[in-house]
Amino acid sequence: MKHWRFFASIFLLGCLVIPGVSSIRVYAGSELVEQPFELGPPPKEVLNSFEVPFRLTDTKHVLVRVKLNGTGPYNFIIDTGAPALIMSKEVAKKAKAKLDKNDFGEFHLQIEGGVDIPKISGLSTDMFQLKGMNAMGLAGCQLHGVLGYNVLSQFRIQYDFTQDKLHWTKLDFQAPELQRFKGKADQGGLEFMGDIMKFIAPLMGMRPNFEMKPRGQFGILLNGDKSTEILAVLPESPASKASLEKGDKILKVKKNRIYSAKDLWKFINQCHENEKIELTVQRAEEQKTVTIQLGKGF
Amino acid sequence: MRLVIALLSCLFLTSNIFGKDPKNNPSSESEKETPSIVPFILLPSGHFLVNVKLNDKGPYQLIFDTGAPTLLLNNRIAKDSGIMKKQKGSMFSPFGPMGQVKIASLQIGEVISKNIPAVVVDHPTVNAFSQYYKKKYGPIDGIVGFPFFAKFKMTVDYQAKQLTFIPNNYKPTDVMESMMNAIMGASKNNKPKIVAATGYWGLKVTKATKDDSEGVDVSFVVPDSPAAKAGIKVGDRLLTIDGRWTDSETDTYHAAGLVQVGKTVPVEILRNKVKSNLKVTPIPGF
Repeated sequence: MKHWRFFASIFLLGCLVIPGVSSIRVYAGSELVEQPFELGPPPKEVLNSFEVPFRLTDTKHVLVRVKLNGTGPYNFIIDTGAPALIMSKEVAKKAKAKLDKNDFGEFHLQIEGGVDIPKISGLSTDMFQLKGMNAMGLAGCQLHGVLGYNVLSQFRIQYDFTQDKLHWTKLDFQAPELQRFKGKADQGGLEFMGDIMKFIAPLMGMRPNFEMKPRGQFGILLNGDKSTEILAVLPESPASKASLEKGDKILKVKKNRIYSAKDLWKFINQCHENEKIELTVQRAEEQKTVTIQLGKGF
Repeated sequence: MRLVIALLSCLFLTSNIFGKDPKNNPSSESEKETPSIVPFILLPSGHFLVNVKLNDKGPYQLIFDTGAPTLLLNNRIAKDSGIMKKQKGSMFSPFGPMGQVKIASLQIGEVISKNIPAVVVDHPTVNAFSQYYKKKYGPIDGIVGFPFFAKFKMTVDYQAKQLTFIPNNYKPTDVMESMMNAIMGASKNNKPKIVAATGYWGLKVTKATKDDSEGVDVSFVVPDSPAAKAGIKVGDRLLTIDGRWTDSETDTYHAAGLVQVGKTVPVEILRNKVKSNLKVTPIPGF
């Protein structure tokens, strides 16, 4: 009983501290930037604007995809709580970054949706919050870094989670050079959390798998997007080889009863390439069950 | 063991959130359609502060952070605003008493939002920040994050040093709930995730293992398919679908998975070293 409680308390702590900390995650390697800056005259709006695709992670972080020095794409979180572009050491290495003694380097940053910043400084450090979340797979995908002030300040950015893209407007502004405090830890001593989560996660049976696989192809066209009725079977497709026909109504996928188009898509979207799928259809008065080996394509 | 842990944490959550389901009308959000402008204080480190009133008490100075999945309040302002004392079942921790609370009314500038979940904790990083900036800017007592700003169409303008808010009726889900799901589902999620297009395109794409330049190769186009009708040809390099990169097979499926069936979207291809934009309308099928 004792060690259960021990784990529970640590876990609860982590559970609270991780979202909390991820908020502050940023100061992770960044620490406080000493150099004060003057804003000068207000920047002109440069006419370029971009629709930047984003997604919300399971942890409610705003995630965009970026390329650094042409490598990637990587998953980065938009973070006004971060002073700079910050990436994991592994990503910095992949991007072949030349780092100075404070772990800053210069990067060519591209953001999905067309944003292109030819030269920007970025910090290479393993943020404990990302390390912890990745160890537990909490975000639902692997996180590689954050976009902070020196990137975000060059744009006016509109967030609206009822849309699937963010609206970025380029401003004529360059953030001042960033400097890193030397040797001063500003997380208030939380850096150990990343390693703790990394240690505990596997003990709790958490081995996140970020791998993805394409769905397999059937070769079936439907009679409308709310329908479970086959409109056409593509020639030489897996469905055609299994002798499915126009007008067949799909009743079961892998023995799961289909009541609506929503059910159909749900089960269809769990089938990978080359998988053998049992499908039951209604054809006139008769029920017919076939096995389809899925192909490739979409 | 995970089950025990999850149960314990459920208990912990229950006593705090579900047991205290707010009775007041949740639809009383600020219904204004005109944008509300909120100025902020930009710190030399590039972070910014906003003044926040909690249940009409305050204002308190909090860091505004799009990377924060929750709101954090320290114990001082949680007590001062009366949020914490109603709260039973807070737990002792190295970071002061901790607990989940709901803020009945949170006001930033003219913008008022109701029933915002928050976590009360004396977070060491916030403390460190507060210590560092206290002299010049006054104390910093927490962080404003996702549960607040998700309810608005929000614009961040660092140059004008202001935030703009228009209510958008988005209902953010609770991050703690998502976390519980993630933790309970963790072992089930060991299988690779399957990514799928929402509709039928008539395309096959490939990418050689050593090929690390942008895009994927189109290896087959089904005659008369939506892809064929758009003018995509075998040998084209597919670069983006609706503005999303297609740098791997799974990337391509993911991008096609975000296109509504029947909606026409731009597709960027490279053919004979020339980039061009085509338009594809996927149809219902798989």
